[in-house]
Amino acid sequence: MPCVASLGSMQRVQLICAAVVVASSWSCKPEPSRSTGSMSASVGTAPQVSNGEVDSSADDGQWVRPAKDFASTRFSGLTEINATNVKNLRPIATFSTGALRGHESAPLVVGSTMYVITPYPNVVYALDLTKPGLPAKWSYNPKPALASQGVACCDVVNRGLVFDAGKLFFNTLDNRTIALDANSGKPVWETQVGDINLGETMTMAPLVAHGVVLIGDSGGEMGVRGWLKGLDENSGKVLWTAYHTGPDKDVLIGAAFRPFYPQDQGKDLGVSSWPPDAWKIGGGTMWGWISYDPQQDLIFYGTANPGPWNHEVRPGDNKWTSTLFARKPTTGEAVWAYQLSPHDIHDYDGINEQILVDLPIGGQTRKVLIRPERNGYVYVMDRTNGQVLSAEPYGFVNASAGVDLKTGRLKYNPEKEPKLGKVVREICPAAPGMKDWQPSAYSPRTGMLYIPHQNLCMDEESLSANYIAGTPYVGMNVKMYPGPGGNRGELEAWNPQTGKQVWAVKEDLPVWSGAVATAGDLVFYGTMDGWFKAIDGRTCAPLWKFKVASGIVGNPIAYKGPDGKEYIAIYAGIGGWLGAMAFPDVSLDDPYTALGGAGAVPDIKSKTTMGGILYVFSL
Amino acid sequence: MSSRSRIALVVGALAIVACEVPDHPNKASSQPVSTFSIGPQPGPDRALAVAVNPYHGDKSVVADGRRWFNYYNCSGCHGDHAGGGMGPSLRDSTWFYGGEEHSIFASISEGRQYGMPAWGTKIPPDQIWRIVTYIKTLRTPDEPDPPR
Repeated sequence: MPCVASLGSMQRVQLICAAVVVASSWSCKPEPSRSTGSMSASVGTAPQVSNGEVDSSADDGQWVRPAKDFASTRFSGLTEINATNVKNLRPIATFSTGALRGHESAPLVVGSTMYVITPYPNVVYALDLTKPGLPAKWSYNPKPALASQGVACCDVVNRGLVFDAGKLFFNTLDNRTIALDANSGKPVWETQVGDINLGETMTMAPLVAHGVVLIGDSGGEMGVRGWLKGLDENSGKVLWTAYHTGPDKDVLIGAAFRPFYPQDQGKDLGVSSWPPDAWKIGGGTMWGWISYDPQQDLIFYGTANPGPWNHEVRPGDNKWTSTLFARKPTTGEAVWAYQLSPHDIHDYDGINEQILVDLPIGGQTRKVLIRPERNGYVYVMDRTNGQVLSAEPYGFVNASAGVDLKTGRLKYNPEKEPKLGKVVREICPAAPGMKDWQPSAYSPRTGMLYIPHQNLCMDEESLSANYIAGTPYVGMNVKMYPGPGGNRGELEAWNPQTGKQVWAVKEDLPVWSGAVATAGDLVFYGTMDGWFKAIDGRTCAPLWKFKVASGIVGNPIAYKGPDGKEYIAIYAGIGGWLGAMAFPDVSLDDPYTALGGAGAVPDIKSKTTMGGILYVFSL
Repeated sequence: MSSRSRIALVVGALAIVACEVPDHPNKASSQPVSTFSIGPQPGPDRALAVAVNPYHGDKSVVADGRRWFNYYNCSGCHGDHAGGGMGPSLRDSTWFYGGEEHSIFASISEGRQYGMPAWGTKIPPDQIWRIVTYIKTLRTPDEPDPPR
């Protein structure tokens, strides 16, 4: 494991690395006592589980939504590619998207067609899986406003498409939600839902639940007031809007609202937990992932950080930012909420994925929701009522000292609280969190959650922030550097039942790609310097890797082709908050550049170059 | 605001700017005023009128320029020391719309199509020139508060 002391000139980093050399850094060792159990992933189209074996015939081989199933497992029941033969995996087709920025999405596979979407300008391509070379059947360019590129905080990414009932749904950077006929590529409807002049953009992948297209906005660094909207999938009509700040009627908190903890109970907390009117520009956007439980008919998702980052100007809990919501998809009505990071002080957005599974906990099977959260803890929660069953750190955390399971409250470390005009050092995790948006995968066969994440710490100094609509509203100087151990990322296997790490594959660079797990007991992920890797999902043994053209920040998928064979697909294309440091229009002589991104990956320009290319592999 | 009224505002701001900018010494009377050339100038006569920075090389306004650079959130997009981020780096040698002082002034005042806001409606010309003067010191010994 290379020591990355040369990345920073700070003595501190050198000390950390020295410590690591002594401690032997490679921790990819299976835990002999790990439990594989007989937990079932019973939600949505997740495979049925019996005695730990997954029936691959129960998996139709498609990938019709970003996380494969409503439960967001990103688990494929396909078994053809396994630990024995994965060494023979080879690319069978590539496709250049013509876009250069961060490719943070997963391809979709519906029937015999693959659909991909590019970062700005958000072009959608349909590729014919029945023909050699996967030729394009059609493409659709929504032509987003050029100026929208200047409003996106963290590269002009797009996190994907969703398919339902013959249509594809996606968002454009300039705040349109568009439905396309999946066969012809012709637009069915288009709805303008936000305004770049207010700092709003859209980057998230929609989910369709119960005929409602669920969408959210980006712009928490621009003084945007965040929301989630439900659109009718046939007409594009906005059925409801749930704001994430402001009075209960705007947040769609009503008679059905039953939050578990006292901290989340009370009237109009979205107003009273802010200074007057600060909630109107308070962030709480929604640019991440949504899960759906059809049995409960509830969607689950979290909201982003409050704005500005300078927290001293917004005393209070700042509800409902960095908050997990359970809502009815048809009305948007909130059923429960839980604020993960009340009065967030470190940009710990709460937009990460939640995996819905049923787990034996304390002698009984619980309907749980698992969230590897940006603040550094894996939350296991009862998804029927919002109770936190456990919250264990999955990396080095000193910004807080755990979660009080009685009150549900995050226990902040006052020593790490940013102050105006004072540099507070060695805050862990850094602003992108222990994990940013990059989604985990869960295998019901191994019972493990595979978490791609960062290992970064930071120095912070609060600044005064000046709200000017449509421009950044942050008020923070951030300098990031590697966390303890010196490796800036890892792919970690986590046992949600025990709340413990099973093993971790350490990576020099932050792991900014998603993961996929398969019933062949493989886990695929990519690195920011462009290695696409397969590891053994049980032992973490490295089994295969392939160097793609550009750094990987996309999400891999496994699917069954029209020929019945198993395929693996992944986007290459460096970008995103940290990946953007590879772009030529960013200077790296200032570690504070891009809210600290430059300090996190000052070496990235020498390790990869821009370029969006789809890769498809098979045996 | 409609796009038409927005344009009208910007044009109005530019007219004010033109009034306050000293005439270029080479300006010929037959040429249009307040012409900020970004692209190449066709034809034999390339002496188009350009605005001149009244603070050109004036070190006494540089710190003030940096202050406005932060105040108007330029730093939010271009970085605390203008190394880039949401917007491009201003520290490097690449200038999409020209690196001359009058071109930088025009980019700030008029905005640019890839997302640079038109600040001419918001920032007085005098402050824009101070910001321009600061930007021209980046990566020079005169840069105030350089990155560490």
